[in-house]
Amino acid sequence: MIGSDTTEAHPVISYYIKRAVKRGATLIVNDPRKIDLTRWATLHVPLKVGTDIAYLNGLMNELFKNGWAREDFLRSCTENPDSIREWVKDYPVETASKICGVPVETMKKVAKILGEAKTTSVCYTLGITEHICGTDNVKTLANLQMVLGNMGKYAGGVNPLRGQNNVQGACDMGALPNVFHNYQPVNNKEISKKMADAWGVAQLPQTPGYAMPTMLRKALDGGTKILYCVGDNTVHSEPNMAHTIKEIKALEFFVVCDIFPNLTTPYADVIFPDTSWGEEDGTFTNTERRVSRVRKALVPPGEARSHWWVLQELGKRLGKDLGFSSANAVWEDMRKTATSYGGITWERIENIGLQWPCPTVEHPGTPFLHRDGKFARGKGLFSHTDWVPQAEPPDEEYPFILSTGRRLWHYHTGTQTRNSIGFNDIFGEELLEIHPDDARKLGIKSGDIVRATTRRGSITLKAWVTDRSAPGLVWSSFHFEEACSNVLTIDRFDPITETPEYKACAVRVEKVGDGKTVLGEGMVRRQARP
Amino acid sequence: MDRMELERTFSIAAKRELEARDFYTAVAEKCHDAAMRELFEKLAADETGHFELLEKFRADPAKVMKIAAPESDWKIAESQELPVPNADMKPKDAIALAMKREQQAVEFYRALAASASADTKDIFENLANMELTHKHRLERLFIDVGYPEVF
Repeated sequence: MIGSDTTEAHPVISYYIKRAVKRGATLIVNDPRKIDLTRWATLHVPLKVGTDIAYLNGLMNELFKNGWAREDFLRSCTENPDSIREWVKDYPVETASKICGVPVETMKKVAKILGEAKTTSVCYTLGITEHICGTDNVKTLANLQMVLGNMGKYAGGVNPLRGQNNVQGACDMGALPNVFHNYQPVNNKEISKKMADAWGVAQLPQTPGYAMPTMLRKALDGGTKILYCVGDNTVHSEPNMAHTIKEIKALEFFVVCDIFPNLTTPYADVIFPDTSWGEEDGTFTNTERRVSRVRKALVPPGEARSHWWVLQELGKRLGKDLGFSSANAVWEDMRKTATSYGGITWERIENIGLQWPCPTVEHPGTPFLHRDGKFARGKGLFSHTDWVPQAEPPDEEYPFILSTGRRLWHYHTGTQTRNSIGFNDIFGEELLEIHPDDARKLGIKSGDIVRATTRRGSITLKAWVTDRSAPGLVWSSFHFEEACSNVLTIDRFDPITETPEYKACAVRVEKVGDGKTVLGEGMVRRQARP
Repeated sequence: MDRMELERTFSIAAKRELEARDFYTAVAEKCHDAAMRELFEKLAADETGHFELLEKFRADPAKVMKIAAPESDWKIAESQELPVPNADMKPKDAIALAMKREQQAVEFYRALAASASADTKDIFENLANMELTHKHRLERLFIDVGYPEVF
């Protein structure tokens, strides 16, 4: 596990990990924080925030040095394996250790465990991707797994634990700026014509759109005039909230579809009341590419309507009636042009989901890909990645690193869970986690009111003095609008994916009241909204 | 079935395998990418293996040719267009090309079986099963390379 607070963010997956440990699996938790899963780990590797590349390159150096690399796999399934052998020579464990803060002996121990294991599965989450070097972090994990010959093996691979139940499905369906559904590039003339023919239109735009940060940034110079936002509490979830608000205010027209009012809805010109997951027919595709049915259990309240219905009505008013009569009709239309989903009918997934690729109704679905190291491009390609420091390192004025994440009891911006009495009773306010050594220096006790300040803003919240945080590191979630970490986070992005560096920015922490201080209105555990 | 008819049947089959071998060899020679060249050379070698298998049956008429069909036919080849071979093919297109050719072979033998005498029908059905097995193997490979999640 690397960069994944699994028990908090992926509790179901964490159950399977714990079960695997009970059955004898060796668990290595690589995380700057002493997260809950460390209690189950053979080894907790507390690497410094954002030093994954140095750490992983150091491990590979040690694997090659000790003859633990899978030379047969490297020879038959990868291209130019000597290039990575040479590349990681710049990262002997002694050098890597100075960067990542992991003792040399611990790194050697990890390398030995990996090198001697028959199969290792790597799971990662946003601790890997939410950095300015997120893409390179993932590529480095792929390098490691190729060096270990763990690709195309059952229970091996590089496994991103998806951030939401259907983020895989949303990507598969083309909720991305540059591809249609099934990852068909919009700028490919043949594909564009195929889709135009399928949808009965003369032509389709062939210029890739913008990723979210660029969309918002371009609002400031008129490059983005209209934003149509479905189930995304943009103000709350993007980094540097003050700047996000400025960008949204610059839009000419802003439409929001959501189930409850939130921090974003006040800026909308039009709000479409949306349906919740229990009020929709359709499918979810989860992190293992498994497509499962979701069924309508409740009639949506008031004027709330299904996503597909709202979009179809918009289409009619823009001159194109898609003519769908149900969610299943949309699905059947999609299947015709999405070959990886081509064999997945709702009838086939009535009881249990199927994993794509499942191109025909005769195909049983695919539990894992690239069997025996057969990659889509032919042979596996190593990427040469170098460690880079975080965009905003700590300094005298802002001496701590702020890292952010999720809590078990809340989901994202809280549009759903902050409106649930039960969840708010269990965990009703945000806390800033700080290491006991740092807390002592600042005179902070658990329950004291502290102010966290970055170059972008300040929030006030209670402190939780805990060794879950490493010295020099403070941590908070973004679930609570009263003390949202995205007031603080930095709007610097990975250059490829444009994922923000939510996991690291420089912050100052000061005590503003002791544990007996009466909290301000915004800090009072609020009652669930009706 | 008389010996002449048996010979004729196996000659048809063997010729197809050799043609396939020559086709893949020719494509391999034109490939710019070393990995793709290797892949086509492997496909050519597979066809040589198929040819040798047929020759064993031909050499020993007493041996009963019994090739079972794979457990399922995923019909992935049937869902794909036949790619045009070129020097810059990607693995996806190369495998698609190979599995389409196997699909054509299956259809060829099934058509022969449909119009064959009772004696030769069984042999053509077995040959169709053999090609179906090859198609299935390539379809399994296509699953691994044919649906990249790239964006």
